[in-house]
Amino acid sequence: MKQKNLSRHKIKSPYPYSLVIPAFLAYTILYVIPAASGFLLSFFNIKTFKISTFIFAGIENYATVLRNPYFSVAIKNTLLFAVFTTLGKLALGMSLALLVNNRFRGVNYMRTVFFLPAVLNNVAVGLVFRSMMHPIGLINRTLTGIGLETFTQNWLTNPKIAIFSCAFVEIWKWTGYTMVILLAGLQAIDSTYYEAAELDGANRQQKFYFITLPLIMPSFNNAVVISIVGGLKVFDIVQSLTNGGPGNATSVFGTLIYSSFSSGNYGRGCAASMILTIFVLLIALPTNRFLSGKEVEL
Amino acid sequence: MKKYSDMFRSALGLILSLFMLVPFIMIILNSFKTKKESAELGLEFPKQWNFRENYSVVMSSGILHAFRNSCFVTCLSVLLIILVSAIAAFILQRRGTKLSKKLITFFVIGLIVPGQIIPTYMLCSFLHLKTFFGAAAVLTAANIPLGIFLYIGALKSISRDIDEAAILDGCDSLSLFFFVIFPLLKPMTVTLFILTFMNIWNDFGTTIYFLNTSENYTLPLTIYNFFSTHSSDWNLVFTDVVLVSLPIVILYFSAQKQIMSGMTSGAVKG
Repeated sequence: MKQKNLSRHKIKSPYPYSLVIPAFLAYTILYVIPAASGFLLSFFNIKTFKISTFIFAGIENYATVLRNPYFSVAIKNTLLFAVFTTLGKLALGMSLALLVNNRFRGVNYMRTVFFLPAVLNNVAVGLVFRSMMHPIGLINRTLTGIGLETFTQNWLTNPKIAIFSCAFVEIWKWTGYTMVILLAGLQAIDSTYYEAAELDGANRQQKFYFITLPLIMPSFNNAVVISIVGGLKVFDIVQSLTNGGPGNATSVFGTLIYSSFSSGNYGRGCAASMILTIFVLLIALPTNRFLSGKEVEL
Repeated sequence: MKKYSDMFRSALGLILSLFMLVPFIMIILNSFKTKKESAELGLEFPKQWNFRENYSVVMSSGILHAFRNSCFVTCLSVLLIILVSAIAAFILQRRGTKLSKKLITFFVIGLIVPGQIIPTYMLCSFLHLKTFFGAAAVLTAANIPLGIFLYIGALKSISRDIDEAAILDGCDSLSLFFFVIFPLLKPMTVTLFILTFMNIWNDFGTTIYFLNTSENYTLPLTIYNFFSTHSSDWNLVFTDVVLVSLPIVILYFSAQKQIMSGMTSGAVKG
C-alpha cells in the first residue's frame, strides 16, 4: 500500500516547475530581456526613449566608441584596476584569513572589523578617501609627520598614480569580504588531514602547499571570479573619487558608459556596455574554468 | 611558545584593525567639527564641538524621508529575493534533470553578465513600473542569481531522505518547502539576507535612474547631493555619511555573530 502511494507521488512530482515561475519571470523580464535588447539597441541612434524616434545606425555606435580616444585609456585602466585589485584583495585577504583562522584573544573582534568596510556604500567610501587623499589630507600630513615627506603625492590628481589610488580604496573596502570567503574554505578543511600529515612528519610549509592550498581552491576560485568581475564593472568608487579625471586619466568602462548616458547618447552607451559584457565574459569564464580544473575531488 | 605566538597574533591583529578603522574615525570626528575645522581634513579631536548644529542641518534636509524610502525599497526587494529564489532553487536542485541543470546555468550566468541599465529603464517605463516599485523589481531581478546560487549550494547538503519522509507523512510541495526545507536553510537565509540587504541599501547605480527626484531619494543618493551642493562643507558631508551608514552598521553589529557563522559555514565558498 505504502509502495503504491509513493509511486503515485513520484508520478505527480513533488517538485513542480510552477514554483520556479516567479523567479524565472522576474529574472527573465527585468534582467535577461534588457540584456538582449541592449544588444539590439546598440545598433540604433537613440536620443529619446520614444521607440518611433530610434534610427537604425548599423555599427556606427561601436565605431564611435572604439574611435573615442578615451576608449583605449578606459580599457587599459579597467584591466589595470581589475588585475591590481584582484591581486591585492587575494593576497591580503588570504593573509588575514590565515591569521584569523587561529583561536586567540580578539579574533572575533578582528573578523568583525575587517569585514566592516564592506557594509558601507561606495559613494561614502569614495568621498571619505577623497578627503584623506587630498593634497593637504590625512595621508600626506601623516607621511610628512613621520619624516617621509618624499613619499607625499597628489594621490588623486597625478594622472600617473590616480588609478592606483582608486584601486587602493577598492582593496581597502573588499579585503575583509575576500577574507571571509577564504576563511569559509579554510574552516571546511577537515583537521584530520593535518593530523595525518603531522604523523607523517610534514612541516608547516608542506602542510600549506599540499593540504591547505589544494583544498581551498573552490573558495579561492569564487573569490577570484567575484573580484575580477567586480573590478571590471567598477563605477561608483571611481566616480566618487575622481569622476574619471584628471582629464580622462582614471576613466574606466563604467564612467565611459555613464558619460554616454548623461550626454544623451543612449545607443552609444548600450554599445559601450556590450563591449564591457564581452570583456567580462572573455575574462571571467576562462579564469573560472582554469581554476575549477585545479580543484581536487575528495 | 604557543602563548607568545598568540600574543603576537593579537598585537598584529590590533594594529591592522586600527589601520582599517582610520576612515571610520575620520568620518565620525569630522561630523562633530565646525566647517572651518573640518576643512583641515584632519584626525585631531574637535576644538569646538559643532555636533548639534551639523546633525540638525542634515536631519532637516529630508534625510528622514530618504530613510523611509530606503527601508521600503530594501525590505520589499530582500523579502522577494529570499522567497522566490529559495523556492526556485529548491525545485531546480531537487529535480536534477537536464532541463533543471540548464535552468540553473541560465540563472547563475547572471552573476557574471553585467546588468544593462538603460534598456531596463526603457522597459520599465514601457511597463509603467516606476519609482519605488520599479527600483524594487529591478533590484530583485538583479539579485535572484545570487540567491539561487547560494541556496543551491546549501540544498546539496540537505538529504533527500527528509523530503521523502515528509511526503510519506502527507506533505504537499508547498508545506514540504515551508515547514521542512526552508527552516533548514536558515543559516543560508541569514547570509543571503545580509548580502542582499547590503547590495540594495547601498545601491547607487540602479536607484539613481528610478528615484531621480529629491522626493524619491534613498539614503545613498543624499550623500552625493550634499557633496555637489555644499562641496566645501566637509562637516555636513561627513554628518550625512554617518547618518546614511548608521542603520546598516547597527544591523551589522547586532547580527554580527550570525553573519560571520553564516558566511563561514561553507556558504560562500561554493
